[in-house]
Amino acid sequence: MAVWIQILSGANEPIYSQIVEQIRQAIAKGQLGTGEKLPAVRKLASVLVVNPNTVAKAYTILEQAGMVATKSGSGTFIADPKMRTSDPADINVLAERMDAIIGRAINLGINRDDLIKMFNDRVNTFVDNERGHK
Amino acid sequence: MSEIVLQTEGLTKYFKDKPAVNHMNLKIPKGCVCGFLGRNGAGKTTAIRMLMGLLRPTDGSCSVLGCDSQFLSPQIRQRIGYVTEGHRLYKWMKIGELEKFQRAFFPDQWDAKLFNDMIEYFELTKKQKVKNLSNGQRAQVSLALTLAPNPELLIMDDPTLGLDVAIRRQFLEGVIHLITRQNRTILFSSHILADVERVADRIVVIDKGMLKADCTMEQFRSAIQKFVITFDKQLPADVNVEGAICCRSDGSLMEITMVNASEKIVSDWAKNAGATDCKLVQMTLEDQFIEFTAPAKKGKLFDWEYN
Repeated sequence: MAVWIQILSGANEPIYSQIVEQIRQAIAKGQLGTGEKLPAVRKLASVLVVNPNTVAKAYTILEQAGMVATKSGSGTFIADPKMRTSDPADINVLAERMDAIIGRAINLGINRDDLIKMFNDRVNTFVDNERGHK
Repeated sequence: MSEIVLQTEGLTKYFKDKPAVNHMNLKIPKGCVCGFLGRNGAGKTTAIRMLMGLLRPTDGSCSVLGCDSQFLSPQIRQRIGYVTEGHRLYKWMKIGELEKFQRAFFPDQWDAKLFNDMIEYFELTKKQKVKNLSNGQRAQVSLALTLAPNPELLIMDDPTLGLDVAIRRQFLEGVIHLITRQNRTILFSSHILADVERVADRIVVIDKGMLKADCTMEQFRSAIQKFVITFDKQLPADVNVEGAICCRSDGSLMEITMVNASEKIVSDWAKNAGATDCKLVQMTLEDQFIEFTAPAKKGKLFDWEYN
């Protein structure tokens, strides 16, 4: 598996959600490509030392979002990007995270134009990196 | 509903005139890992001892694997692994002797390879005497002795109490190892909520002998929520919203912890009370447990205002 999941014990964010987020990130960064297989639930549970139901729940959420697909008997695979659905709740989460970043930028005295430029640069770097992976 | 492996009905135990466990009705389904939570003196050990048939209930009953706890046959006991608080082992024995001794109770189901692997992993040898082991090493031996018979039901009373972080993690690995084999059921009490969150999929909370929660981890995580509400001018004098268990305020901010409340009910209440903003904030399991069992008192234990 080309993804490194790190569980933060005793965090605000529930463990299943930490797993979902990190797999989403790995997919976005191209570390996990379409058709790639995720580890079996019990295997990942042993590696991360978490309850198998927690991993199963994470996989279910990813499946509902169309990020992964389960083929009965053979495992869970990264789905074709065309299958992805965007949940309004996820978009809210995105907006909240942007708010946090904007707040931090204001603290640092970065002005609006510089922040937008910085954001654009980051998006470009990210997309380039993703292309590099493929 | 899957098979129930552990059940109590009106389970009650009085010590003199004080109830240690008070009318507890509990059902633990097969295949789950259940974190048994409660503050010191809440009645966890008393409940576990009654389940294991070591203590007679004053009233009510309890059963494990379908058998009344007071009449557990050796055959039923063979299917249960029980780790007592403090990992008491016979001090005069060597690890190898303990193994032989324990193995005699589980002749047909002893996984010698698992036991040897664990002892080796823990960097122990069978020649070592129990009296020369550290607390952590005793806990490791106790874990190996309990897992080697491959128990169907594992009951552990605060197994990680006083252990260092590395040995605690080994305990969690042992638990995960056991549940990745199908249909094993585990009940363990602990005060380390971060550990409980990792390995448990079910939570039982008792407080002053009374059962306060028996639900899945997910239900517990989503049932207790904290809202941070900002008021424009004055804070409302009264928090009359159903489900509020804990409330703190500072300046124009108010923090309310709710049980089983919908976000809408809280935000509607806040709006009516003149709030300008109502935000749901995620809590750690530890914070949830503290606010659920020990709501903040009016007075403070320490007064931090020096001037």
